[in-house]
Amino acid sequence: MLTLENLAALALHLGLVMYALFGGADFGGGIWTALASGPRAKEQRDGLFLAIGPVWETNHVWLIFMVVTLFTAFPKGFSVLFTALLVPFVIALIGINFRGAAFAFRHFGREIGEDVPLVARTFEIASIVTPFTMGMAVTAIASGRIVLIGNQVQLTMWGWVSPFTLVGGVVGSAICAYLAPIYMTVRTEGALQEDFRRRGMATALALGIATTLEVPVAMADAPLFTARLLRSWPLLFVSLAVVSGLTTQLLLWRRRFPAAQIMAGGTVLLTITGFSAALYPDLIIGQLTIAAAAAPLPALRAFLAVLPIGALILVPSLVYLYRTFSGNPDFQLPHHVHKDKDA
Amino acid sequence: MDNLLAARTLMGVSLAFHIIYATIGIGLPLMLMIAEGIALRTGNDLYHQLARRWVRPAGLLFAIGAVSGTILSFELGFLWPRFMAFSGALIGLAFTIEGFAFFTEAIFLALYIYGEKRLSRRALFLCTIPITIAAAASAAFVISANGWMNTPSGFALINGVPADLHPLRALANPAWAHEAVHGTFAAYVATGFAVAGVYAWSLLRRDDIPYQKQALTLALAVGSFFLPLMFLTGDWAASFVARHQKPKLAAMEAHFTTMAGAPLVIGGWPDPASGQVRYAVKIPKLLSVLAHRDPNSVVEGLDAFPADTAPDPRLVHPFFDLMVGSFFIMAAVSCWFWWHRWLDRDVPGERRLVRAILIASPFGMIALESGWFVTEFGRQPWIVQRHMTVAQGVTSHPDIDLVLAAFVTVYVLMTIGLLKLLLRPASAPGTEPPKESFHVDP
Repeated sequence: MLTLENLAALALHLGLVMYALFGGADFGGGIWTALASGPRAKEQRDGLFLAIGPVWETNHVWLIFMVVTLFTAFPKGFSVLFTALLVPFVIALIGINFRGAAFAFRHFGREIGEDVPLVARTFEIASIVTPFTMGMAVTAIASGRIVLIGNQVQLTMWGWVSPFTLVGGVVGSAICAYLAPIYMTVRTEGALQEDFRRRGMATALALGIATTLEVPVAMADAPLFTARLLRSWPLLFVSLAVVSGLTTQLLLWRRRFPAAQIMAGGTVLLTITGFSAALYPDLIIGQLTIAAAAAPLPALRAFLAVLPIGALILVPSLVYLYRTFSGNPDFQLPHHVHKDKDA
Repeated sequence: MDNLLAARTLMGVSLAFHIIYATIGIGLPLMLMIAEGIALRTGNDLYHQLARRWVRPAGLLFAIGAVSGTILSFELGFLWPRFMAFSGALIGLAFTIEGFAFFTEAIFLALYIYGEKRLSRRALFLCTIPITIAAAASAAFVISANGWMNTPSGFALINGVPADLHPLRALANPAWAHEAVHGTFAAYVATGFAVAGVYAWSLLRRDDIPYQKQALTLALAVGSFFLPLMFLTGDWAASFVARHQKPKLAAMEAHFTTMAGAPLVIGGWPDPASGQVRYAVKIPKLLSVLAHRDPNSVVEGLDAFPADTAPDPRLVHPFFDLMVGSFFIMAAVSCWFWWHRWLDRDVPGERRLVRAILIASPFGMIALESGWFVTEFGRQPWIVQRHMTVAQGVTSHPDIDLVLAAFVTVYVLMTIGLLKLLLRPASAPGTEPPKESFHVDP
């Protein structure tokens, strides 16, 4: 139904997708920095580190966009979610802060020729903890364990931890770890490109297993979500996500990297859309509908009027940013010039 | 710890921490734009190198500003969910626009910081323009939300719930204009003096070299240009507060008793029990002049308001004086510097003056932080003036003291890390790492 509150919910959903596609890849870069292995482990780390540099701050603004959208368009939902999910959000926030600070410290340290191992470990650990906790928090919304009595949230300290949300955390981490190496295949060449290709294909398998596993877990642990997931629209998005994921594997196998990059993004988009469609028409499953959580109409109108104006500035600026820093991740090299072997 | 006190402490610590980085994020882009502009116009490459020197510490400080700002956006929900359920729809528009401004700032900042090898000199300069504008805009729109808490508008209260919403009127609330302008100018002053302090310090430690003199002059030029503007907008703010937030004015000025021809109380310690201000200097009739432009006008004192709806002057008056006092310290040093510069036609090498600049350098930030204390403590006990108290807005979650402990640890660790990097002898911000050298005359 095309109502203003549904449009605002769509904006929130798109914010989540963008955060997964950009912020997620950013976290994934950290995960693969921690898991770098083989004879080219250092090259893998360096490539990821350089690729994250110019874009990490922008990637994380999507999170702020989501928070602001939530409290502007769904003030009641914001109030409930941030009370019920305080613990995982605090953990994720500490992760985001340590990760951001560690990355900036490390970049600064490198520029003056110093590498601090403690800072590097902090960055890696925070890159693993944060998306896992975020994945748990997001799936907790669909777990049916956030309970409202009247306007009051029933508080349980560990209500956000359940088999369903734990697998959700794995899916969150897997999404991040899946995108980063596939994005890197188009920016590297030779053996390093092969390294990232193999890592992308392996994580795709892990992501597939985790999302498949989530279905029986949800049947036992989150029955309302399962029932909603089996309706026609959510099922369509989930099926398309499977097709898209398999196509991405095929493209990676055939080394069609630019197409694989787009398909991988599509897989994540469809997976999250399946989740959101199963949540619909609720903001918090079974407890708070989008309509009940929504701000009064004038506020929604003002919010939705600002979005296209903002997008008019944002989209070309983002395109300029990603174009400028496409190609070889080393931003100290001019555009599209690859490092020569003899350099 | 009491949940409300824990929540207030956490919000206060988080904002006090974030404000430092946010301020530099507003002021430094302006200085980058001026330096790159001069370099492009005059062909004097020294100014470009000067700006690029700032990039390294700037990247660090902006990163801390971004992540600590993320904490704040979450804390609105963690700590004040009932306040946000009440006002999210009204202050959300300002935050939405601020979000886009912040996005724009982050994008062009990344282009400027990382793009030196991939963009032309002209494009680098052009990037500093959206950074500067977006930074000022995000300050202005965030301040709109604070202005709304002081002068809530754009709704009617029906059964305790805001109804008949006008988000644009909430955005352009009465306190917005003076708060936004005063706050943004204060950020320019604070950054200008802070950067000047860094160069004063390096001038005191080593031989004076042209690069440092130019940087010092540029920083002080920005600081000194906005200093009188900050003062004038401060007067505008005070006369607005005198009309629209009378309890805040009374607390600012430690003005206990309603009277005509009210004196201005400078310094001293207000004692609410006796209604006296101890050890203070009083200038007859000046408060009436400043508040209402009339020496015989009546200025309401704290006795005009019920005790539980007025702020505690002990938390407001000292910070107000600290803010105003900081201005006079900076103004004195600024006059001294420009007087010498006019006489000598060069950056004076006199060590006493350079030392004075170093001493004055933190007072821009001190003024800004204490001005924020004044506006926040001065609004107590309200979170939304006359509609919702701070106690009514706080979360029902019981474990806020643990969250406080966790985030204070985060801030302490981030500060230690930052200071370790910035304060190492060889490469303090604004000075050169040993391998590169620009110690040459232009």
